[in-house]
Amino acid sequence: MENDQHLLREFINRIHPLSDDEWSAFSEHWQPMIAKRKTILTASGETERYLYFVLEGVQRAFYLGDNEREATIVFTYAPSFSGVVDSLLTQLPSKFYFETITASRFIRLRSDHLLRLMEEHAGIRLFIIKALAHSLHGVLERQAEVQVFSSEEKFRTLLKRSPHLLNLVPHKYIASYLGIDATNFSKLLSTVSI
Amino acid sequence: MKTITNAQLLDELSADTRGIILFAEQLKARAESEMIRQRNDGGWSAAQVLYHLNVYSQYYLPAIEKAISGNPPSGYSFKPGLLGNYFTGLMGTDASGMVKKKMKSPKNAVPPPVIHVKESLNEFLQHQHHLLNLLEIVRSVHLGKVRIPVSIAKFIRMKLGDTLRFYIEHEKRHVKQMERVLEITSPRA
Repeated sequence: MENDQHLLREFINRIHPLSDDEWSAFSEHWQPMIAKRKTILTASGETERYLYFVLEGVQRAFYLGDNEREATIVFTYAPSFSGVVDSLLTQLPSKFYFETITASRFIRLRSDHLLRLMEEHAGIRLFIIKALAHSLHGVLERQAEVQVFSSEEKFRTLLKRSPHLLNLVPHKYIASYLGIDATNFSKLLSTVSI
Repeated sequence: MKTITNAQLLDELSADTRGIILFAEQLKARAESEMIRQRNDGGWSAAQVLYHLNVYSQYYLPAIEKAISGNPPSGYSFKPGLLGNYFTGLMGTDASGMVKKKMKSPKNAVPPPVIHVKESLNEFLQHQHHLLNLLEIVRSVHLGKVRIPVSIAKFIRMKLGDTLRFYIEHEKRHVKQMERVLEITSPRA
């Protein structure tokens, strides 16, 4: 647990270092948690209750369309935060499912603790805002890519950012993330040299 | 019957419930005609299964709410009981998804011939979300000391932890049944 907290502090320091007092308050209520593969941690319609920090494993958030089609929105893996963060901070029901793809290990912080910490410590508020800003940057960048990149360019970008995913994640989820169907993805795999 | 922490048990049951929610949301894509189609051997349609599950929710969820209202004893670990294991085991399916023991439904839980699919499905989803909330609330409740009367035999009061296990196992069994009937009567290409 101490090692896990160390990883968390290191990660936070890269975004906005907290003072020792702030860190002491922030680190108090995180709970360790493990989940098997293919475990849904948050369902659509449920309000996210936790901020997750990933220590091991790969997860995804996905949207279920009317026609049973799924759209994988994001993959998360260590070290990073995870969970349906917009639902967590707005306390509105999630539109997404959040599930583990492989067996995963986390530490997680309940929303009521997080919200109270944000109210009581300016440094923690600042950290959350900066982390959100980074997250938003990533989402906007990806939105642009999804609209203008070719399938091959999208695939190469993914491979550059997260090369290990190809071996850990079922190809149908990667195809869904890239916005292409499974057959075209298989063709793409065979033509793109890694 | 190993003692298990509340967190472990409830995390598992919550994950199961979310899987059921995903399944139910996917059902929304099915035409009403597919949902009411019965099997040739007279087995229930998917809609009839939903109705049956809703009857159980209508009994158990308020019963659980009532039992935990006020100041329930607190606890953080749970030891499954013999009766609980028996009832939950009855609901089980084997590795291939086949039901281990065929059972007849209690009379009041037998579905009528005509079902309003959309309403049943929406009600079903509401119950699952209600259940998720309850699973969260009882994380600090003593799951062994709080007891719930069994629907078909109210003189039997089963531990709350066992009631939750049995209730969700029962739903999982019927979800598998719905998957099968939809596969048989309305297969997807």
